[in-house]
Amino acid sequence: MLPGGVFNTRYDSDLAILRTRTHWVLLAVALVVVFTVPLFADDYWLGILIDMGIAIVAVLGLHILSGLCGLISIAQAAFVGVGAYTVAILTTQLGLNSWLCLPISALSAGLVGLFFGLPCFRLKGFYLVISTLAAHFVIIWCFEHFDSFTGGFRGLHLDPLSLGPIDLRSRSAFYLLTTAVVVLAAFLGKNIQRTAAGRAFVAIRDNELAAEVSGIPVFRYKMLAFFIGCLFAGVAGWLWAYFQRSVAPSHFQLIDSIWYIGMLIVGGWGTTTGVFFGAISLSFLDVLLKDYINPALVKSLPPDWAGQISVSTGLILFGGIIIAFMILEPRGLYYRWEKLKSYYRLHPYSHIPVPVKEDEEKEGEMDDSLG
Amino acid sequence: MAVVSVVAAIAVGCLVLFLRLPVDDRDQAMQAIVDGIMKGGVYALVALGVVVVYKSSKVFNLAHGAILMLLAYFTWWLLAPTDLPLWTALIIVGATSVVIGLVIDRLMMRPMIGQSGLTTFILTMVLGFSVVQGIAVLLFGGDPRPMPSIFPSGRLTVGSITVQYPWLSAFIAAAAMFLVFVTYFRYTRGGLAMRAVSEDPVVSQSLGIAVKRIFAIAWVVGCLSAAAGGLLLCSMNPVHQDLGNFAIIRALPVVLLGGIESIPGAFIGALIIGVAEMLAITYIDPHVTGFSMLLPFILIVVVLIIRPHGLFGLREIRRI
Repeated sequence: MLPGGVFNTRYDSDLAILRTRTHWVLLAVALVVVFTVPLFADDYWLGILIDMGIAIVAVLGLHILSGLCGLISIAQAAFVGVGAYTVAILTTQLGLNSWLCLPISALSAGLVGLFFGLPCFRLKGFYLVISTLAAHFVIIWCFEHFDSFTGGFRGLHLDPLSLGPIDLRSRSAFYLLTTAVVVLAAFLGKNIQRTAAGRAFVAIRDNELAAEVSGIPVFRYKMLAFFIGCLFAGVAGWLWAYFQRSVAPSHFQLIDSIWYIGMLIVGGWGTTTGVFFGAISLSFLDVLLKDYINPALVKSLPPDWAGQISVSTGLILFGGIIIAFMILEPRGLYYRWEKLKSYYRLHPYSHIPVPVKEDEEKEGEMDDSLG
Repeated sequence: MAVVSVVAAIAVGCLVLFLRLPVDDRDQAMQAIVDGIMKGGVYALVALGVVVVYKSSKVFNLAHGAILMLLAYFTWWLLAPTDLPLWTALIIVGATSVVIGLVIDRLMMRPMIGQSGLTTFILTMVLGFSVVQGIAVLLFGGDPRPMPSIFPSGRLTVGSITVQYPWLSAFIAAAAMFLVFVTYFRYTRGGLAMRAVSEDPVVSQSLGIAVKRIFAIAWVVGCLSAAAGGLLLCSMNPVHQDLGNFAIIRALPVVLLGGIESIPGAFIGALIIGVAEMLAITYIDPHVTGFSMLLPFILIVVVLIIRPHGLFGLREIRRI
């Protein structure tokens, strides 16, 4: 619902993402703040923010694939790995320019995604999830066993990235690059949702048979969703490879894919804003856990438990949070945020229930027709 | 019909090839097949837990492997450091798995009744791969531990084939438990109620079947079979924190191949997967390192693409 006194008087203002002047000002302020973070944050926080940015790019891809098109993939971490390995192999073995590798690694992840998306011709629901699970292990197996390209279990090391004379080795420079990519990816992700293809994705998610009889070529759009989702993963992999400057099979684990899905669930299924909510909240929770909760636990429990605590508390806490969201608030933080906004806008009369617009109600919900 | 004739043709072809092999090679192949059948029996028991839960509540339990690993660690802890007698330990493990089953059913599955299969699938996935895995690592560390031997050691030699006693005992135990479950599902009122609930929970409820209790029983049976599967798997391998992934990854092709609703299908599927794995270890691994690790996934994808409802499962009909 709109705040009091704001009316959409023309169709294009109804369709616009940024409808009012306040929106534009807020966006400008947010961009300025985000791009000036290196002035007042130290390297530790910049590292966390870079990690978060890379996760956001990967989850935006997963959002298009799973949130919009309803094809849940738990191989996203492996597709990120495909992007990272592509750039590592091309620069170290063939000596290609690292910026030229950016589109190549996005494309290669996309093509691998297309290949492993082929089963969706026949499969839906959790059968498809199982086939992406298999895809994850097949991709990781290839990383481990094609030693001559991928360096086996040890992986590969990359040279630092530079843009002409500018060295992007420092955290702050790399942070700016990551942020630029995140902003671009968010812009694309939000707008793909608003194209004909995006509406076709949503139609397929909501009812596949109905979409098919309405003339949407379902299989072609599903493949397109796989391709776009994995393009984002490839770009995230490129960033990842240059952030860590080494790639190894152990960096891309199944649990990372589960966290990506978890970010979608916590943030809100099927909304771009939800991707940001999920990624930011889980990343900061991770910092809280590593810096405050784990040391406290290590201090209060017997000393021989220390090694186990650092490995396991994250698994238990994040898994518990994702499960709690699935049971208690399947629409995620995005829905809570919308409710908060309408509460504020209605302020003295907040207790009166407002009928929610139908398409808004649908958004952010894992629909029954998925299964 | 076409599928049956293709399978028959492949089987006859394999038999002809097998009989034309030199004697040494034939012995090696026989050995691999027998070992595969032994392994397959244990895989069947692991897969059974997944099938039981799916048959009654239409929840594909991806947490089964992790629960199995947790219970295997618990059994190891009771037997090795605590040094309890075997029967006491088994009773405690059984009671624990009943409690785990009830807790999962009450806290996580009951609020999700009526949700789509995909939602509960993701829930059990998160539960298994992160929460249960984390709890197991937190309580028992992640190091590999050898399980104290439960079955007599030694080996049985018939002609040129040798079978280790632990494997044979594990196979017999698994097959016996499997028979018990099949009998329960086919011939008792409780089993009939479970099949009715899986068909249509709402109608079953209105006919007077306690649907929630059936779900709880299914989860308890699932966890008990996880405990048994963990015990038997660990008579072959040490307990390890990757045991959960290992188990669920072997159970997936078994369940998919056999047909997700079919208990006899799970057994036949498990034997096929076990034999295929042993044959891959014997013949392909020397040429392609680690191929047997990849085999389950290739089988998963192939089965899913060719016959998604498995050999004995029910074909799903979709309507708008």
